[in-house]
Amino acid sequence: MEENLRDWIKPGQAIRKQKTDRAVRTLFFLAALISGSCIVLITFFILMKGIQPFLPNYAYGTVSLKDFLFGTLWRQDQGVYGVGFIVINTLISAFGALLLAFPISVLTALFIVKIAPKPIKPFMKTVVELLASIPSVVYGVFAAGVITTLVKTLAAYSGISTAGGSSLLAVILLLAIMIFPTITSLSITAIEAVDRDLELGSLALGATATQTHFKVVLTSAKSGIFAGAILGIGRAFGEATAVAMVAGNKLFGPTFNLFDITRTLTSTMLAGLKETTGLDYDIRFSVGLVLMAVILISNLVLNLIKKKVGNMN
Amino acid sequence: MKKLTIFLLAALVMLAGCSTPSGSDTPGDATATPSASAATIHVYTRDATSGTREAFEKAGDFAEQLTSSAIEVSSNGDMATKVGADANGIGYVSLSTDFAANGVKPLNFEGVEPSEATVLDGSYGMQRPFMFTTRAAGDYESTEKEELIAAFLDFMQNSTEGMLVVEKAGGVVDKTKGTAWAELAAKHPIVNQDNSSISIATSGSTSVEKTLKAALEAFQPMAGNFQFTMNQTGSGDGYKRVLGSEKDGANRADIGFASRAFKSGDEDTSAAMASGQYCIDAVVTIVNQANTSVSDLTQQQVHDIFTGTTTSWEEVK
Repeated sequence: MEENLRDWIKPGQAIRKQKTDRAVRTLFFLAALISGSCIVLITFFILMKGIQPFLPNYAYGTVSLKDFLFGTLWRQDQGVYGVGFIVINTLISAFGALLLAFPISVLTALFIVKIAPKPIKPFMKTVVELLASIPSVVYGVFAAGVITTLVKTLAAYSGISTAGGSSLLAVILLLAIMIFPTITSLSITAIEAVDRDLELGSLALGATATQTHFKVVLTSAKSGIFAGAILGIGRAFGEATAVAMVAGNKLFGPTFNLFDITRTLTSTMLAGLKETTGLDYDIRFSVGLVLMAVILISNLVLNLIKKKVGNMN
Repeated sequence: MKKLTIFLLAALVMLAGCSTPSGSDTPGDATATPSASAATIHVYTRDATSGTREAFEKAGDFAEQLTSSAIEVSSNGDMATKVGADANGIGYVSLSTDFAANGVKPLNFEGVEPSEATVLDGSYGMQRPFMFTTRAAGDYESTEKEELIAAFLDFMQNSTEGMLVVEKAGGVVDKTKGTAWAELAAKHPIVNQDNSSISIATSGSTSVEKTLKAALEAFQPMAGNFQFTMNQTGSGDGYKRVLGSEKDGANRADIGFASRAFKSGDEDTSAAMASGQYCIDAVVTIVNQANTSVSDLTQQQVHDIFTGTTTSWEEVK
């Protein structure tokens, strides 16, 4: 046995290495535990606060859960809290933004990876990355100044009077711009990962470049592209500051008219949060719970679609 | 590929579906007669926790009756910008707002033009007080701090110099009641020593921020260069952080402010070392500068517009 070991490998050293290995493994485990427990803690805290208004002996008067979940009026001054229409509005604005941003993002990614000339490629990539790093309040200021004016002009052409441009359409446009870089970045990564041989095979079989891009490249990358869409819609659901600046925050709903004002779950939680107490404060945690449920369900549905689309191969 | 095409087509159809009914949904009068006078009024409001909204709803006597089609904005500046961008908008801001810069027109209330003079003599009805309250006597880190705070409040509330500073920052004060600081300073020997180790913390209404900061900065070199930190979050926190539930918490403050009277019962300031009013802020109804159909509103008209009884500018004339 002894002669098989190289002279610099000593039994003591091996044990020490194993010890370090174990220590590092514990460290990683602790890190995972901390980040994992954060989610549990946050959920637990919001749950504890959020269900309070619906419990029988709530200090400020019990709120009916049914009225809260299916209500179509949100009047803090009258003590009426109905979140039903806000859920619908949130879904409309987020999925509307996804519908708008998804095709543009995928085609942009395809252009950047496959079609753009070499010198333009890194430049375009940087532009997309820069867009992703712009803080949401800056997007909000932009939306309040530019997008609302655009919507106002657009509405005036069709003879509709808007609230200075604050509308569902403005929210959808704003969110589309905000989630565009997220979807594009992930699509770029997905498209770059497609095996070059697949493409060459398609070209060798006589397909044109465009046919190859759509039928081979995008089909192979669709799982990654869908992951981008899921992340993107997560951002659309969670955006509060920028949306609150252009939504108009309607007191009842739901809103289906693109030129009418709307209200989302996040802007509802944010409005006047700093100045409020009692039921009006606690109910925001309930709204947070609803938002978390909406995001969870949407992600589950999108993941199901992703699996289905992915299995089509 | 086919999937993608179908998906895109579906998206287009959905978008079109969303936009088609929009034309028929909007009231006919808005589309048929686009002239400003007949168009639908767009009511703008602050969120329900705003002190300005509270003051305005009280002045218009329509608390809890605001029309549900109101558009909610997030701040005083946001209100001015949005009404300035909407030819059919109506909203309300504080008197210190720059009307012309935002493209809005201030309206008279009951025939009285909003101005400092009409606010002070009480003839202009839409006004609210800026109130302060301190921690209880003896409840400070040091007696020096307590004395310094008493001196500052005396300066801000009663001295001619302090009033001028507050006025310049947008508050309405009655300068005839002012006393020269030199006279008042005799009662506060604390201002003659170096106070750079003392830091005064303020809390409460965000509306008072401008006037309060101006007063603190003016007083600093006059009182031994003390330090100050302002943590203005809303009128609700004014009482809470000096005398209420958070007075010994992480956000504890020395002076709390409210842009309304402290609520009797809930916010009992009798324990405070000092409390009172240091200036008045006035709420002004505003419309878009291009709106020529209205220049004066009665309380009844304000009530009707903001409760949704009056819906077109034609009816206001």
